[in-house]
Amino acid sequence: MPADAWAVQFPVGKNSHPDAVRGQVERSGTREPLTRDHMLSQSRMDDTLLVRAAQRGDRNAFEELVRHYDQAVLRLALHLTGSDHEAQDIYQEAFLKAYKNIGRFRFECSFYTWIYRIVTNLCLDTMRKKQVRKEAAPVIMDSEGEQYDVLAQVADGRSGANPERDLMRRELGGRISRALERLTPRERMVFELKHYQGLKLRTVGEMLNTTEETAKNTLFRATQKLRGALADMR
Amino acid sequence: MKCEWVQENLVFYVYDELADDARHELEQHVERCQECALELAAVKKFRSEVTEFPAAEPSPSLLAASRMKLQEALESAEQGSWWHRFLFDPIAWLEQVRFAPALGAAIFMLGFAGGIGATYKILAPRMPGSGPTVTLPGVQPSLASVSGISSISQQAGSDQITIQYDTVLPREAQGTVKDPEIQQLLLYAARNNFNAGVRMDSVDLLTQQPTNPHVREALLYSLRYDSNTGVRLKALDGLGPYIKADVEVRDAVLEALMSDSNPGIRIEALRLLEPVRADSAVRIVLERLAAKDENRYIRSQARTLVAQLPEMN
Repeated sequence: MPADAWAVQFPVGKNSHPDAVRGQVERSGTREPLTRDHMLSQSRMDDTLLVRAAQRGDRNAFEELVRHYDQAVLRLALHLTGSDHEAQDIYQEAFLKAYKNIGRFRFECSFYTWIYRIVTNLCLDTMRKKQVRKEAAPVIMDSEGEQYDVLAQVADGRSGANPERDLMRRELGGRISRALERLTPRERMVFELKHYQGLKLRTVGEMLNTTEETAKNTLFRATQKLRGALADMR
Repeated sequence: MKCEWVQENLVFYVYDELADDARHELEQHVERCQECALELAAVKKFRSEVTEFPAAEPSPSLLAASRMKLQEALESAEQGSWWHRFLFDPIAWLEQVRFAPALGAAIFMLGFAGGIGATYKILAPRMPGSGPTVTLPGVQPSLASVSGISSISQQAGSDQITIQYDTVLPREAQGTVKDPEIQQLLLYAARNNFNAGVRMDSVDLLTQQPTNPHVREALLYSLRYDSNTGVRLKALDGLGPYIKADVEVRDAVLEALMSDSNPGIRIEALRLLEPVRADSAVRIVLERLAAKDENRYIRSQARTLVAQLPEMN
């Protein structure tokens, strides 16, 4: 029997939990292949029902919504702040804000865009505050007068057997992180949403309350600066 | 002029942000122009270099800690006040009332009660062996009027359970776990309460009443649908003794083993299924987990269990 041909029937209640719905989708396997779009629209449907339930005060529904997005939110906050502590604060504040204001959510955009809008605003605030602090603080230099980069000191366990490659990777990592830090908070945000989170610039514009054209210009500036910074360091 | 346009758009080409016609035009140009082809290679190299740099990923423990902290904060957080929502969206409210006569009646009663401005909390002295006491003498707590259960506690060293629950007015019921009213309230709390702690307490007490046919049903419901891992785990443990005799329980545990989001629950489900591993449905699931599961421990445990099974003809 082929490994994928298994089919076990499970009774699922009428008012299926979204997890159970997803479970069914996964389990249907080869019997009823579902496209990615199908699953996405299913997830959007789940979101709409969950948002409506949360608006009626159902906290379980809100917690389910949190579980749909919290990993991505934490990842975004961690990438942008580089600190577990700050990422956790942003995560907490974003979802609490969403919980308190979900009654005002009017389905003019997807819940996903809405929650990202809250998170990106909080991240931008944190980054701006950090930038002010950094400008006031002296730069840490190592013994040879080079700027000290903590990230560059972290060994990368993946390349193990090849120390030369390992060193090059670390250097590249350090260069990239320094170059990213030199971007303005908004440039950094657009680059993060496009490069690391893979969002369309139209969505990025929507999240940042601006136009696609502005997001495009910001991405262009960010990549120019990054390429310039990386070339200088070669 | 053409080269200038191409070079301004290379980054959008590489990040898949160009319209089809512009993409085609750019590709045509790059085939002919060496300078632009070199620039394109440089932009592609930049993208792959940055991609190769691993940005910090949140650890599972950071995610778990964040979730726990948020859950605590949500317990005490309040959503925007109801009058605020009413002010902003009266139509939605009217619709809700239109489609929910019970809600409409509840709002009416609430207004009435608010008008009187009185709160009753009557705790009649309880005689041993008698039914649970309820707030209004002579009125049994109709579950339809229960709007939420706020706490469940068991008095130390006795079999007395105190359940505080809200109807239009807050009420309290007392009794042993054997009292039908208490059981009814526990079953209701397990399914409908917003507070995970209360759901946990009710599931815990329900597991002490294995003879009630509704208890198993409530535990199955909690295992499948409760959003709180602790409650699901408690329900799973409560279902353990039925796994041999009840196929529905076995199926629900199998379901949890395959699709629960929490590895702890899945590992516990695997442990519970050990005595029935020869069941063909269990066997199929075990074989699949042994081959493909993302959790290494579950994979190896499933493999061990499969190895202990006799060969199928």
